[in-house]
Amino acid sequence: MATIRLIVNEKNYTVDADPQMPLLWAIRDFIGLTGTKYGCGVAQCGACTVHLDGKAIRSCSVSTSAVENKRITTIEGLSSDGSHPLQLAWQEEDVPQCGYCQTGQIMNAAALLAEHPSPTDDEITKSMNGNLCRCGTYQRIHRAIKKSILIKAQTLR
Amino acid sequence: MNRREFIISSAIAGGGLMLSFHPAAGKGITALGLEGQSVLGDFVKITSNGDVLFQFVKHEMGQGISTSMAQIFADELCADWDKVSIEFPDADMKKYQNERNGGHDTGGSCTIIYQWDMLRKAGAAARQMLIAAAAKRWKTSPLNCHAENHYVINKNSSQRLGFGELADAAAREKVPESVSLKDPLNFQVIGKPKIAKLIPLMVTGNLQYGLDVNIPGMLYAVIARCPVFKGKLKNFEASESLKVKGVIKVFSTQPIAGLQPHAPYMPYDIREGVVVVADSFWAAKKGQDALKIDWDEGVNEKLSSTNFERLAEQRAMHKTDPTGYIGDENAVADLEHVRKTLRASYVFPHQLHSCMEPLNCTAHVQPGGCEVWVGTQAPHLIVSELKRVFGFSEEQIKIHLFPSGGGFGRRYYPDMAVEAAFISREMGNLPVKMIWTREDDHAANLAHLFQHLEYQVALDKDNNIYAWYEKELRTYTWAAKYADPQLPFMAYDIPNIRFDFEDLIQDELVHSSAWRGVVGHGRFFSECFIDEIAAELKKDPYEFRLSLLKEGRDVFVGDIYPVSSSRIISVLKLAAGKAGWGKKLQEGQGLGVAVCPYGNSYCAVVADVNVRGGKLTINKITIAVDCGKVINPSGASNQLVGGIVWSLTALLYGGYPIKNGRAVHTNFHENKLLRMKECPPMEVHFTENKDERPWGIGEISSPLGVPAVLNAIFAASGKRIRRVPLALDALST
Repeated sequence: MATIRLIVNEKNYTVDADPQMPLLWAIRDFIGLTGTKYGCGVAQCGACTVHLDGKAIRSCSVSTSAVENKRITTIEGLSSDGSHPLQLAWQEEDVPQCGYCQTGQIMNAAALLAEHPSPTDDEITKSMNGNLCRCGTYQRIHRAIKKSILIKAQTLR
Repeated sequence: MNRREFIISSAIAGGGLMLSFHPAAGKGITALGLEGQSVLGDFVKITSNGDVLFQFVKHEMGQGISTSMAQIFADELCADWDKVSIEFPDADMKKYQNERNGGHDTGGSCTIIYQWDMLRKAGAAARQMLIAAAAKRWKTSPLNCHAENHYVINKNSSQRLGFGELADAAAREKVPESVSLKDPLNFQVIGKPKIAKLIPLMVTGNLQYGLDVNIPGMLYAVIARCPVFKGKLKNFEASESLKVKGVIKVFSTQPIAGLQPHAPYMPYDIREGVVVVADSFWAAKKGQDALKIDWDEGVNEKLSSTNFERLAEQRAMHKTDPTGYIGDENAVADLEHVRKTLRASYVFPHQLHSCMEPLNCTAHVQPGGCEVWVGTQAPHLIVSELKRVFGFSEEQIKIHLFPSGGGFGRRYYPDMAVEAAFISREMGNLPVKMIWTREDDHAANLAHLFQHLEYQVALDKDNNIYAWYEKELRTYTWAAKYADPQLPFMAYDIPNIRFDFEDLIQDELVHSSAWRGVVGHGRFFSECFIDEIAAELKKDPYEFRLSLLKEGRDVFVGDIYPVSSSRIISVLKLAAGKAGWGKKLQEGQGLGVAVCPYGNSYCAVVADVNVRGGKLTINKITIAVDCGKVINPSGASNQLVGGIVWSLTALLYGGYPIKNGRAVHTNFHENKLLRMKECPPMEVHFTENKDERPWGIGEISSPLGVPAVLNAIFAASGKRIRRVPLALDALST
């Protein structure tokens, strides 16, 4: 056991846990932010995607001690009120079915757009290919990512 | 509808209207004394500030029914859609469990079918009560008032009162004995594409699923279940597990384990295992990894999927009696009429549900009862099993219901609640969250049923189809002998048709269950066999189908609804037209079509593929559907597209291979699911029809992706594939 300091959504937390415990469980069971989901535990589905210093990571496969004092963002910290262009586009395109994988999808897409503000269709597909959706919402996810770019442009205008 | 309905209303705390529907049995069906118990459901709360809180009593697992049910209700209520939200009340058998009206449970693509009339009447009744309250306030007749967009309007004075202002008074109004439903021409919400109501919560991470429950003082449990079906726990060594910091207790789950073949409605299996309880999930999982367990692997120890499939092949050749036939049951062998026979066998193997939210349940057993937090398709089965296994009374069981991250049939079974309640009791009545790891899901879960289909067709001297023989071998029958229609699920006009059935339940290597599309996956291989016949006769597969269908002819195959040739023809024509059937194709390109009825809906799918250099590319999938009235075109389209993704996973990856009794796949790196890169473009088209009521939508496309693509592969390459998943080398050479 160890005391680990985490910075999640710009708040400081102290977690007393096994340093090898994946970040996912620190976020969900210790800090209590449940928007980040457990899907596979082996970085195959992307449901647990969060940002580490702005980059998408699979929180199920990163140990808690490895991210000590680094800046972590979860879906709860993506925007304060659900107004991130991706969150708005996801609504407009009526993307989610069961919704379980969608926070991971959105966090993955947000990291993509932060790095490539206007990705091509192929870049979107390639970047999103690591995120599984058993309901089969891929078409609409792709569409919503493109729409979010328009939404962002409009809000900046 | 041959029943009367009683509506009971009451004021809710803080003001407002709570409306319940109390249907009573029609004459001669139920004794009067039972009337008060056959409560159907509480559908709505209207608060004094005008919020319409739709009480959603079914299970939302991605089908969008919480939204479409609310649409039906809200439209009749004349509510402002923006003021409608969804609430998940606790399970209540007395209020909600009513077999005749579809019950508390969710499955079989039945929800909208059975809720349509009920929700319309409930919405209309609430509307009339609001109108009556307003009329009283204005000292005028209700006939002078009407409801519109969350207001009641006095036609004479143009005065308006909001639903919120009226809710409290409306709750004291007499419940109307009869209601007048809206003219469908005036629907404002029904039939309009509506964004699912839960999406704002989903995209912010605020929608709470069962796995997200947090009860003060809660412990976590993980179970190491026997990796071989029908195996038993011999002994286990827990000392290493107990050394893991946070692990509290390790014990066997034998007392609740075993097959439940005569459970009230659904057989299910709880495998013997060892549970590790800890103060965190991570500690419990580490404790599970550190267990040393000896299993008695039992009868399946040395068996593999290939053994089982060989057994199915042998049994397919067994002579059986038909479950049903038309014409002469032995016509396939009628040498006088038959010029040639064709024969083919098709296999749809076991599959995993792979719900993105792993199975879980939180339970808190106390001396006076049991509280459960879970996403379930069948709360009534949890109640009946907790009663049976633990001796609770119905009143002692409280179930808090949550939406699920996928259900697909798996969450119909109550085993997770039995396991969680057992663990809570053994922990001295502490609340416990029991979680299946994804590895557990692969190692020891219920799986989709296995189907082997054996087909024969006899052609006469004029190359007409003289006889069709179909034998299905299957591992799941809902505990009934056939649990099945008695004839093939099709409307092709063939003079002699025979259907045989044999179950493989005793011999299977995993425990079978229902999986989105259920028996349709194997049964609609008939759409591949029809294609084989067309190829034999050198006919266009689409034209050949049309030539076997007679407009206006309804065929009774043993299901509640007959198969309508006209509706099959209409979806076939729509799909073929939209997909450009008959267009000029490139070398290595092919189109394939498949069509099916499901419940009383109809779906046709055309797949456009390339097969080049041994590689399959799906260029496009075109889906045409007749599901009666479409409640929410956006949600319905999601279901149809999702169903195809479902079947393409089974086609390209799927299967649940077993070797020496154990699952070969351990997680998603081996058990692959379709990803964005492989997801083809899809188009959904609804037939224009004047049907006034909706039919089911959740499963109808899911059995058609496989036959449509297999037929397209044949058209493109001449390769006839008769099983899924596609072998890696299936298309090479």
